[in-house]
Amino acid sequence: MGPHAQAAGAPISDSPTSEAATVVEVAGVDCSFGRVRALDGLSLRVLQGTVVGIVGPNGAGKTTLIDVICGLIRPDRGTVRVLGQDVAVNASAVRAQIGVLPQETALYDEVTALQNLRFAAALYGIPRPNARITEVLELVGLNSRRKDVVRGFSGGMKRRLAIARALLHDPQLLILDEPTVGVDVEARHQIWAHVRSLRAVGRTFVLTTNYLDEAEALCDRVAILRAGKLIAEDTPAALEARTGRCLELECWHEGAARIYERLRRHSGVLRAEIVDFGLRLYLAVDVSPEDIVHEARAVCSIEGFRTRSPDLAEVFRALTAASAPS
Amino acid sequence: MSSLRVFKASAALELAQLRGNRAFVVLTALAAVSFLAMVSLFGLTGAYAPVALIDLDGGPYAKRLVEALLGAHHSFALKSMSPDEARTALYSGRLVGIITIPAGFSADVENGTTVALDVRIDNVNVDLTNDVQRALPAAIVAFGRRHQFPGVRVQMVEHDVIPHDTGYIPYLVVSALALDAMVIAGILGAMATAREFEYGTVKLLRLSPASQAVMLAGKLAVSAAVAASALAVTLVAIVFVYGVVPVAPWTTAFTLLACVAIFTCLGAWIGALLKRTLAAVPLLFGLAMPFYIDSGALEPTRFDGEVIWRIAHLSPVYYAVGVLEWAFHGLRVTPEPIYLNLLVLLAIAVASAALTLGRLSKGVAR
Repeated sequence: MGPHAQAAGAPISDSPTSEAATVVEVAGVDCSFGRVRALDGLSLRVLQGTVVGIVGPNGAGKTTLIDVICGLIRPDRGTVRVLGQDVAVNASAVRAQIGVLPQETALYDEVTALQNLRFAAALYGIPRPNARITEVLELVGLNSRRKDVVRGFSGGMKRRLAIARALLHDPQLLILDEPTVGVDVEARHQIWAHVRSLRAVGRTFVLTTNYLDEAEALCDRVAILRAGKLIAEDTPAALEARTGRCLELECWHEGAARIYERLRRHSGVLRAEIVDFGLRLYLAVDVSPEDIVHEARAVCSIEGFRTRSPDLAEVFRALTAASAPS
Repeated sequence: MSSLRVFKASAALELAQLRGNRAFVVLTALAAVSFLAMVSLFGLTGAYAPVALIDLDGGPYAKRLVEALLGAHHSFALKSMSPDEARTALYSGRLVGIITIPAGFSADVENGTTVALDVRIDNVNVDLTNDVQRALPAAIVAFGRRHQFPGVRVQMVEHDVIPHDTGYIPYLVVSALALDAMVIAGILGAMATAREFEYGTVKLLRLSPASQAVMLAGKLAVSAAVAASALAVTLVAIVFVYGVVPVAPWTTAFTLLACVAIFTCLGAWIGALLKRTLAAVPLLFGLAMPFYIDSGALEPTRFDGEVIWRIAHLSPVYYAVGVLEWAFHGLRVTPEPIYLNLLVLLAIAVASAALTLGRLSKGVAR
């Protein structure tokens, strides 16, 4: 674990100010593969020193967006600027300044961790590679395994080694494509700790994930994609506020159905769903939960109720359901 | 960014990966020697056809007929046997045929009487029957001409196109080198690129700011070096075991290295195209035999008919055999000039390298 590592689960502090430089600027990007429109008029800004999460269902266009930012795919329309450079004009120079963790880790299994990193060091022209390799291996806690063949590594170790490789040339921007997919809980928290420690020293991250708790734990801002379109982009807290405060009512199933019928057209109720314990309601910010509970009690007996903020999973469900193509 | 450093790092990585696949590499290299053995066996098949000779006459004309028979077809291994011994051997599959010189043969010849030679043939394969059918009349004509028997009015006067003869096995072993170059260098080249797709590391190469051409060159240099080592072992066996010495050693070495480089590039393209080692290896083995047979490996393809000759032009082995037979034995086995064969091979290498780069960097903006 590196010197900047924080405990897993620690909240991110020192959010960047709006004066921070723009590291990635995607403007009006369209990208199609045959008849499939992978990205549809997508625009996104990533500020320096932030962690931006890109979430969305499978096929939403997350990896395509990453590939467009890296210059691996030319968009049909729109522009992409990374660290002030137009990717279409100078993709090679852009790639020299970004570190990428591909979804499939892209490690040479039959050689050692050290040989993998030496090769990467040569590709990026890193001076004094041995010292830097030791530094990044220390950071991800793999220095003692440097001479081991990668084939024998666990999924989590491979991910950490791939992160070390992405860090090797000290890039300003790190792009992580599903960094914790297929790794166990401990390895996942280790990877989160690395991201937090690097973000604390000013690195910028763009990461894709299918895990909303990961996005919630790591990201300053979250961009939600569906069918190639950006349907929402904000801080996790703002996205949660957009979904509304959550009120959960405990009651019998028949009672829940009756309350649902009564309240679903209520102007202060943004969404309602019948669940196994009763009813879940998402309320507009100007509505008092007590008033809603009072109205519900007029319909049937309520055994208990609680209010809470919605989590990102609920936000995601709400937003993607609302924008689902008919 | 230093191209030399990228080249060296790519080569070092490829070498490390091949070390991790030692058994596969050793077995692939052994294939080089096994191909040599294969073509040698091919050349030897039918070259030693045991034929029993029963001389019931024992006179001077009978002895001269035997001499004529020995000179008529190099593949006959004549053995003197008793009639019973020969019959047993023929019907137990140990003889191709029995030629019986009857008693009184010399006297009958002396008297000008036509003599019937009894020939029994194991016609299990018509090729052997044809050999006997060709050899015996030739031997009889040679015998008659030697003794100036009346009625023999024509004799062959041979003028060779090439000042030296080349034995069939020495001719074949050169084509084994071309086959080796295709299979060994092709497989190693295919492995170098197919693995990048199998491990997903092609994305790393695509994301890197370094030149993909230099990376590819570094990897393929090691593949070619390993293939060249396997061919060197085969070449040593040809020179020191078979006793076949190239007429132009340096030219031979250069053309062999060129063939290795060319087939490495071709293999790299096949690997990048199929993206799987397991698919590339059987394809290369599968292509090798038809390419080999239709390459002038057994005899100049031009002699096999117009259609086969035209098809041969699709095979890179055709051009490789053309340049290698020239370098090894000073032979021209293709109607096309040597420089044209070399140019075609060079074009195949350049096109393969360009197509491989295209596959590796597909979709990458530079």
